[in-house]
Amino acid sequence: MKPLSQQNLYEVLDVPFDASQAVIAEAVERAMALYAPGSLATYTLMDPEEERLLAKMLEEARSTLLDPTARARYDERITGPEQPGSQVPSPPAPAMDAVIRAAWPELPPVIPALQPASDEEWEEEPVDGQPAVEAEAAPAPQAPQPAARVEEAPETPPAAAPPTASPRPAPILLEKVVEAPASQQAAPPTPSAPAAPPEPAAPPPAQAEAELVPEDAVWSGAVLRRIREARGMSLQQVSERTKVTRHHVENVEADRFDQLPATVYLRGILLSLARELRLDGQKVARSYLERVASAHPGGPAQRPR
Amino acid sequence: MADVPILKLVRTPPVPARRAVGAARGVPAAPPARTRRVISIGGGKGGIGKSLISANLGIELARRGKRVVLVDADLGGANLHTTLGVEVPRRTLSDFVERKVSRIEDVVTPTGIANLGLVSGALDHLDAANPRYAQKMRLLRHIQQIDADFAILDLGAGTGTNVLDFFLVSDHGVLVLVPEPTAVENAYRFVKAAFWRRMRNVAQVFGYEPLLRSVMDGANFRSPVELVETVSRKNPEAGANLARQLAVFRPRLVVNQARTAQDADIGRAVVAAWRKYFGLEMDYLGFIQYDDEMWRTLRARRPFLLERPDVPAAKAFATVVDGLLAIDIAARAGAPK
Repeated sequence: MKPLSQQNLYEVLDVPFDASQAVIAEAVERAMALYAPGSLATYTLMDPEEERLLAKMLEEARSTLLDPTARARYDERITGPEQPGSQVPSPPAPAMDAVIRAAWPELPPVIPALQPASDEEWEEEPVDGQPAVEAEAAPAPQAPQPAARVEEAPETPPAAAPPTASPRPAPILLEKVVEAPASQQAAPPTPSAPAAPPEPAAPPPAQAEAELVPEDAVWSGAVLRRIREARGMSLQQVSERTKVTRHHVENVEADRFDQLPATVYLRGILLSLARELRLDGQKVARSYLERVASAHPGGPAQRPR
Repeated sequence: MADVPILKLVRTPPVPARRAVGAARGVPAAPPARTRRVISIGGGKGGIGKSLISANLGIELARRGKRVVLVDADLGGANLHTTLGVEVPRRTLSDFVERKVSRIEDVVTPTGIANLGLVSGALDHLDAANPRYAQKMRLLRHIQQIDADFAILDLGAGTGTNVLDFFLVSDHGVLVLVPEPTAVENAYRFVKAAFWRRMRNVAQVFGYEPLLRSVMDGANFRSPVELVETVSRKNPEAGANLARQLAVFRPRLVVNQARTAQDADIGRAVVAAWRKYFGLEMDYLGFIQYDDEMWRTLRARRPFLLERPDVPAAKAFATVVDGLLAIDIAARAGAPK
């Protein structure tokens, strides 16, 4: 058993590395119900900090693993370029057993687990060599087009590699600007920083960000729209998932500042949108609100709506 | 090694340790002809149905032809006889504890149900709730050797050492849970307390205390697994042995008073959460529906399973017993000979 902060999203969900979308979707739903705030089963078992971390990781699992593009990127990240599939798939085993088995490989488990036949919904799928389902769903590599996204080329795994190495669904549509913060947020917490939640505030992972997203990056509505489209989300989906009315999302994306709600609400909307798009919400909100403020020197914030 | 009876050691390769206790005391170490099983019913919180579950599990097992002795181990608050509709027994555990009788079999009261006997808790002796250490050890030893197929111990509430020791000496420690935050809280506290007590006992027997202390001084451990791993790094052999000894700690979970479909699922959720956040396993035996009939039969001082075998809650006991027997067989098959 690893501390929660060191588990990857598959371990958090207790699903095999190559689980199908359907299995993951089910696992997410189950875990969210099981570990929801106020859940009976975890009452007094976790401390509040852990509870928050878990909620955050489940949310991340939902937005990352259920999105083929983001999942492929995440897989590559946690697998590492050199040996895809070799390290991560280890299913989250009951660690006490593992310790014992390591020491006494020849002995049977002391008490085999009870496996009621009706239990299948809790069974983990065996990790086998089947290609991950999302491989089909992932966009075919359209590599030639944006000819050599150089800074990414070295990361591309060997072509013949097993499941996870499935054609890298290159984020071709994305502007460079967009790329860095997104992948940063999908990063698994590294063992070196055990307690740190996977916050974008963590060390800037890539030189990429430094050079691609200057501190003064401008998050305009148009950029947000492009990112949303690159993520393959419709206005409707974003609206449903963020609980922000579609009307507002449209206005944000179109930079119709005069039709946006007061700053305090707008900020909340921007944070939710950014979260849904796996961007750094703080940066997005700050940048966007600055633009709103400069467009209306009088301060639209004060205008009640 | 005064603590030894508390400890069910896993056989370690060099020493055949299963009945090492008996051997040390000059009792023949040969395994008994019949395999006795001790089941204890605990749960930390009071009023969650430990006694009712003990009684009805006993009845269910007895009806399947097993010879069962129910032991009211709730020393300060014995009432198991009432759930069975038995008069206050003349002979009780206190007679045994005070050595008025030499064998625990001498205080078994018939219950009127074939194959089912009752050892009533100490009722009269004012200080019976707090037996001396030596008395408790003798009691534990005799319970382990009681002449029956199953001894079922109905434990008291709380996490006192008496309760924990009865729980730990059992082959099957059954944890009763009702789907309420208070019961969940107490259940987790109970299993944690029992687990740490077992770990301390193991460390004591094998002389790991200094090792354990040195490791625990260094850091704050969230889970036993972390602790064992750290021990393993320092002393791989001790770590592996500790892990083996601790792996037998595997409570069986029964959810009582389930009222909704979600309540029925809470058992699985607890097992999953326990594994994920404490790194230990539990076996889920099933749930028993909330049923007013249970309360009504108790009011009438009649055994529930005999009065209303037709209701779903009664049938649930059969499921729980099925699960328990399946685990028992698996455990026996898996145990090294």
